[in-house]
Amino acid sequence: MSDETQDNKHAPNVTRRRFLTALVTVSGAAVAGTIVVPMVKSLDPTAAAAALATTTIDLNPIEPGMQMVALWQEKPVIVVNRTPEMLATLDETAQKGLLKDPNCNVPQQPPYCKNKYRSRVPEWYVGIKICNHLCCIPHYRPKKASVAPWWLGGFHCPCHGSMYDLSARVIKGSPAPHNMAVPEYDIDVEKKSVVVTKMYPLAHLC
Amino acid sequence: MSFKEWFVKRSPLPEMWREHMAEYYAPKNFNIFYYAGSLLLLMVVLQFLSGFLVMAHYIPTARDAYDSVYGIMYDVHYGWLMQYMHVDGVSLIFILLYIHMARGMLYGSYRSPREIVWIIGYTTYLAFMAEAFFGYILPYSNLSYWAGTVITSLFKSIPFIGHWVTTLVRGGAGMSGDTLGRFTALHVTVVFLVIVGLIVFHILYLHKVGSNNPDGIEIKANKGPDGHPVDGIPFHPYYSVKDLFGFGVWLTIFAAIIFYAPTFHHIFLERTMSTPANPLKSLPDVTPPWYLSPFYAMLRAIPNKNGGIILMVVAVLFPFVLPWLDKNPVKSTRYRPITRIMLIIFFINFFVLAYLGEQPPLPKYFFPERLGAVIYVAFFVLLPLVSKFEPTRTPPARVRFRAH
Amino acid sequence: MKKYVVWAGMTLGLLANASGAFAADNGPKMLTPHYTYNAKTIIAGAKLFATDCMACHSIKFMRYEFLTQDLGMSKADVHKYIMLPTGSEFKGTMVSAMPINMAHKWFGLPPPDLSQMVRYKSQDWVYTYLLSFYRDPQRPSGWNNYVFPNVAMPDVLAPYGGIVNEHGKVLRAGDESPQKFKEQVTDIVAFLRFVSDPSVVQRDDDGPWVLGLLVLFTIFAYFLKKEYWKDVK
Repeated sequence: MSDETQDNKHAPNVTRRRFLTALVTVSGAAVAGTIVVPMVKSLDPTAAAAALATTTIDLNPIEPGMQMVALWQEKPVIVVNRTPEMLATLDETAQKGLLKDPNCNVPQQPPYCKNKYRSRVPEWYVGIKICNHLCCIPHYRPKKASVAPWWLGGFHCPCHGSMYDLSARVIKGSPAPHNMAVPEYDIDVEKKSVVVTKMYPLAHLC
Repeated sequence: MSFKEWFVKRSPLPEMWREHMAEYYAPKNFNIFYYAGSLLLLMVVLQFLSGFLVMAHYIPTARDAYDSVYGIMYDVHYGWLMQYMHVDGVSLIFILLYIHMARGMLYGSYRSPREIVWIIGYTTYLAFMAEAFFGYILPYSNLSYWAGTVITSLFKSIPFIGHWVTTLVRGGAGMSGDTLGRFTALHVTVVFLVIVGLIVFHILYLHKVGSNNPDGIEIKANKGPDGHPVDGIPFHPYYSVKDLFGFGVWLTIFAAIIFYAPTFHHIFLERTMSTPANPLKSLPDVTPPWYLSPFYAMLRAIPNKNGGIILMVVAVLFPFVLPWLDKNPVKSTRYRPITRIMLIIFFINFFVLAYLGEQPPLPKYFFPERLGAVIYVAFFVLLPLVSKFEPTRTPPARVRFRAH
Repeated sequence: MKKYVVWAGMTLGLLANASGAFAADNGPKMLTPHYTYNAKTIIAGAKLFATDCMACHSIKFMRYEFLTQDLGMSKADVHKYIMLPTGSEFKGTMVSAMPINMAHKWFGLPPPDLSQMVRYKSQDWVYTYLLSFYRDPQRPSGWNNYVFPNVAMPDVLAPYGGIVNEHGKVLRAGDESPQKFKEQVTDIVAFLRFVSDPSVVQRDDDGPWVLGLLVLFTIFAYFLKKEYWKDVK
């Protein structure tokens, strides 16, 4: 372009401009991406948080019929050592038709816990002790008739009266919609230890 | 009425776009120094983003501050990137600030009718200093601790209320977690908002009177038949695409520093930043970061505590009166050789003072420091005289520009 | 254009001068370790550090898992060579097993955390320090150091490097040749340098891509600018 006219009238090469604008836009978006992607990534859980992500619970102090609560990722994890009598109540609640979801069809637990015990090993129940109605912490009420005359043992929420059996399956008439959540865990019965690894992603906490 | 019409009718944005971008006529002869302004805007945005993410992991207590800051480097995904962006960004901002101000001084941009633009801009520079200082304290490294102690103790020199002010600033007799709490609050709220507000006003005041240019002549004095300055071009698209190119070059430099020299030979990130605060162990020599060290050198130049502080304060405040010290009708130093030489000496002297301010306080540096202080002050004192009597060349009627 | 070159030259010259001067160190003469900074050196240093240093010194910002993520060590190797047999978690921080109150009793002060030591003191300092121990019967530990006079730390590397007295006379030769010993110390320095900024791995991996992308963007923007500025007469 070397025309020496005084006015600014000359035909701009529109195609070339559009093409270059597109190139600048695309590469500019990529540059923005190199800044934005790490920025969003930096809000992921930190390595320090990941180091606290698993919890090992020692089962030795838990005697038959007793329970223990451990704090895991700011949530209470309950471990119950169930006696044969307690395990027998699980069939009873189901047969009496007391339960909303006796067969655990709602994925509130990992597939390996989709059974009436809702656990890897029948005696040891491991679960998140949070009522999925409005996030309260239910009480452990193992004694028969301790909550109602027909009570066979289970969990009772102090906030709105939700009731669960000893596998934390919700009882009909409770405001809570689902069974209590079970996290993913590994259990070593010989070494008597449970390692809670992560939350089961499909489970509703509350 | 289409959606677009409706939106345009309701929105002030199209008008603002026209006023400040599409129909803001800027002189066509801007040179390389004129990139600094838009780059500063870019850097402030980047500092905000990286600062937000660093702040998300920072704990402002004496016990946890240092560990939380280094936790960002080790434990946070891309935490090193956020941290180096934020740390190196400070130095790059000050480089740009100095280029931006030096350009204003070279071409007389502080002169009538842009005195207020200059004053707002210089105030922004001071606010950046405060912001950088507060940020410097937050990691609670040993450097933070002692820099904080030294700088806050300067307030003790204020007559009568000095001790009260110092205690108020520190939140106690010395530096502590309480100091960190208030400095964090100042760093992320008050001072940052002041900077943003000042930048907005800097641009609004500039666009009211129009931009200066390297020739220092007013383009508005020569308007074409369409009512626009004949030497002006719309900011958008001409300067917006030009600034995009500037962004590219600058971000390449910035990225190269972050990826391959994040501490920049420990000028941008000092060694003593990497050891936790220790009230029992003072640093071998407390020196400020490079961008503040010229003023620190002047502070040390006078062997009297209050005298040094007064000199430093005067040195910092002198540029405020610059618009009224320059008496010459010609603005740009392109046509004022003597002022140009004085300015270049002033700039070199500023660099030398920055170097001296980084040196340990040894007697051999006292003379150069004093000489530097004298040259600094002499520039402002001599400017009214020189500008009144210096010989000038006549600036051209139209800006000098060669079409590309 | 010529003018800009002159200006840029002046500025760069001043910066270069200033940076050289800013970095000047006024301490005693330091030795410089010569090595290639790569995973092999760093891992060798990590093994030595775990055996000889970690009994007392923590590197509390590091986690064992970083050694696998950043350096490509296998988890089994980390367990075998680096981790204490008990009481440490793979995702946990690399903290010394020595209780703080014992440290106070034995050394007067707890041994410093070494996470940022190379950043703080420079790698030359750490290298020279480790090579500067000598026998000093007047010190409670029996050791002294040229670089750090009256240091509380004993020369734990003496079995490898040997023992010298104040005048450099060899009292007992080390198990390793002087050359090999210097290499070992160099490896430790390399490891501590890595520990002081583990991001170096990711920076070296990502850097060329980011810079390449930015250069590409700059080139496109330059041609766009040139195209638009054809309008300006």
